[in-house]
Amino acid sequence: MDISDVSKLLVKASRDPVLRTGLDRGISSYWKKRKAVLERYPYVLDLAEEVRRIKEDSVARMEELVNMAVESVERQGGRAYVAKTADEARRIIGEVVGTGKTIVKAKSMTTEELKLREYLIEMGNEVYETDLGEFLIQFLKTKPMHFISPAIHITREKVAEFLREFMKVEVDKDDIEGMVALVRKFLRDKYFRADVGISGANVFSADGGLFLIENESNIRLSISLPEKHIAVVGMEKVVPTMEDAWKVVEVITRFGGYKVTSYVSLVRGPAAENDLGPKEYHVIFLDNGRLNASKDPVLKETLYCLRCGACQYMCPVFGVVGGFWAGLSSAYSGGIGVMWEYITEDEVQASYHAFACLLCGRCKEACPMKIDQPKVLREIRKRLMEKL
Amino acid sequence: MSLKAVKTLLEDNAKRTWNPLGVRESSCSEWARGLNLPERGETLLYTGCLYQMVPYIESFSKMLKKLESLGGTIFSVSLKLTIGLRRIGIDLSKILMIGVSKERYHRILRNIATSLRQAGVEFAYLREEPYNGVLYHDLGMDKLFEVQAMRIADKIKASGAKRVITVDPHTTYSLRQLIPEFVDDWNVEVVHYLELLHSKGYRGSPKGGVVAIHDPCYLARWNGILEEPRSLLESMSVEVREPEFTKKFTGCCGGPIESLFPTLASTIAEKRLHELKETGANRVVVMCPICLTNLGREAGKLGMEVLDLAEFLG
Ligand code: SF4
Repeated sequence: MDISDVSKLLVKASRDPVLRTGLDRGISSYWKKRKAVLERYPYVLDLAEEVRRIKEDSVARMEELVNMAVESVERQGGRAYVAKTADEARRIIGEVVGTGKTIVKAKSMTTEELKLREYLIEMGNEVYETDLGEFLIQFLKTKPMHFISPAIHITREKVAEFLREFMKVEVDKDDIEGMVALVRKFLRDKYFRADVGISGANVFSADGGLFLIENESNIRLSISLPEKHIAVVGMEKVVPTMEDAWKVVEVITRFGGYKVTSYVSLVRGPAAENDLGPKEYHVIFLDNGRLNASKDPVLKETLYCLRCGACQYMCPVFGVVGGFWAGLSSAYSGGIGVMWEYITEDEVQASYHAFACLLCGRCKEACPMKIDQPKVLREIRKRLMEKL
Repeated sequence: MSLKAVKTLLEDNAKRTWNPLGVRESSCSEWARGLNLPERGETLLYTGCLYQMVPYIESFSKMLKKLESLGGTIFSVSLKLTIGLRRIGIDLSKILMIGVSKERYHRILRNIATSLRQAGVEFAYLREEPYNGVLYHDLGMDKLFEVQAMRIADKIKASGAKRVITVDPHTTYSLRQLIPEFVDDWNVEVVHYLELLHSKGYRGSPKGGVVAIHDPCYLARWNGILEEPRSLLESMSVEVREPEFTKKFTGCCGGPIESLFPTLASTIAEKRLHELKETGANRVVVMCPICLTNLGREAGKLGMEVLDLAEFLG
């Protein structure tokens, strides 16, 4: 691995006209929405500052809060686990799921980090991503390019071509609603057939609440119809109280560019004996490098990230190469992606990719947490340079 | 391209000339010739040598791009060759500079100096101007940066200066934020020339015309200098058009990664130029040598022209 490999990959990405079209459309639409949202809800800027303080405090107390969360889940009748590594997390989930099962998945970057879908399929299960973007990612066998818009690089022309092939029906590339309906129809019976629903978490309150934000209603179906619900929660997602968690939810949705989010689900435990809903609720708190990072004076800032995607849209490098930056083998993308990759995945690859940052700081300007990515990425460079 | 080779080249050049591209400190101060500036004083104009390095960066980047298109191994070999060549007495920076003019960049600095004088500011200069060290810091070569930071601090202190005037955003940021991190008892006031001209109420002579303004990232975001360039342009009756991404949300020119990713840097510059062109103006004004070179290089293709604000001061 060297700079020339990174350069070759990024130059190749920057010359892909389909990728560029997707990025241009996504970025300009985000920018318009963002301006409108912040104009209408100016108070979220103050709220974001408050959330930054909540995250600073939470990350400093990560172990303590995770222990509290584990206790809360168990008290409410669920099962909670702390997985030190990606391997351990996969093993735990594999045991809960078993083989020959049907699984519906909500969109979750943390499960991408675990390459969980691939792992469960390998074990002999059927897995379906139910988020429209993730569905495309799964069947077009590419990586999610963006926290919020994983399929930002897949143009509607490409989607139509894929659906024509996949569903064996006529598809009009300009009929977006028609295409969405096709996928929804395909997924409908999967929810009812599924044995397990798997989700991530947007934020988790230590007093026992899993929060999931969505627009498509697929998460609600995925976590309420199957008998088992498994949630994968990065340890940095835990905040002290419900009230804190609601604030996080508000900031994520506003900075993601939504005026309103259609649905926020709050899960506290499994369904009671005679109630509808999953009878089993398993929560896996994932360390995978996070605890160490929380003790690192520079890296810890990464863990304040809410994964809202604002910085990716605003990054000039991301704007021409998308998720190729951080490498195609990483679940993560862009400058913040390199930081996550460094902590949870491939430290060497991340270190070389860190050199593609302009240090221009527009990410920091756009970020609700004001995360100083240039500072962290420069530190990653420094650590590599010292070793060379 | 090999990061290790880049590191070796920079260290080697730094050891030899105190400059990443092998530019001598004495040639950094060539701009001041004939201005009769004193070498000591309470106020010092320190350029950081960034404008002066533009022609070198230009030639270097051209070479890099060629090498990049030839493939990675060739690059490492040629870097080794460079170091080898120099060992037998041939200086890369001199070869690169054959037939390249430095006049434009000297004029920019002289315009700044002259305007400051017209505004009633007296200042000294350094006869041997040290490079600002920013590339070392950017690349995470902190030891090299620290040595350079101390050299800069020593020279500035030795000149008797209590206040330093800077001319580019990177040097400004470095003197304000980085040097204090690396050097003890650094208590020198740092002021960017645009801030100083603004506070003196300086007005340039009428120029007219229309420009699209490109805020350099380090000027707008990291130093918070936004209104000064605009009001100076307006004082010269220049109509200033704002692109969609402007001020704190300005778009980077791509320049900071041109030494490792020259092709990507150009792509980013081209995209930024398209945003600027949407204002309807074909002239772009910048206030940074890195923006000047990186945007300037791509501008021709789009029928555009990139000028430094200081070029309006003549
Ligand atoms: S770094 Fe900031 S802007 Fe980027 S995804 Fe995280 S919270 Fe959002």
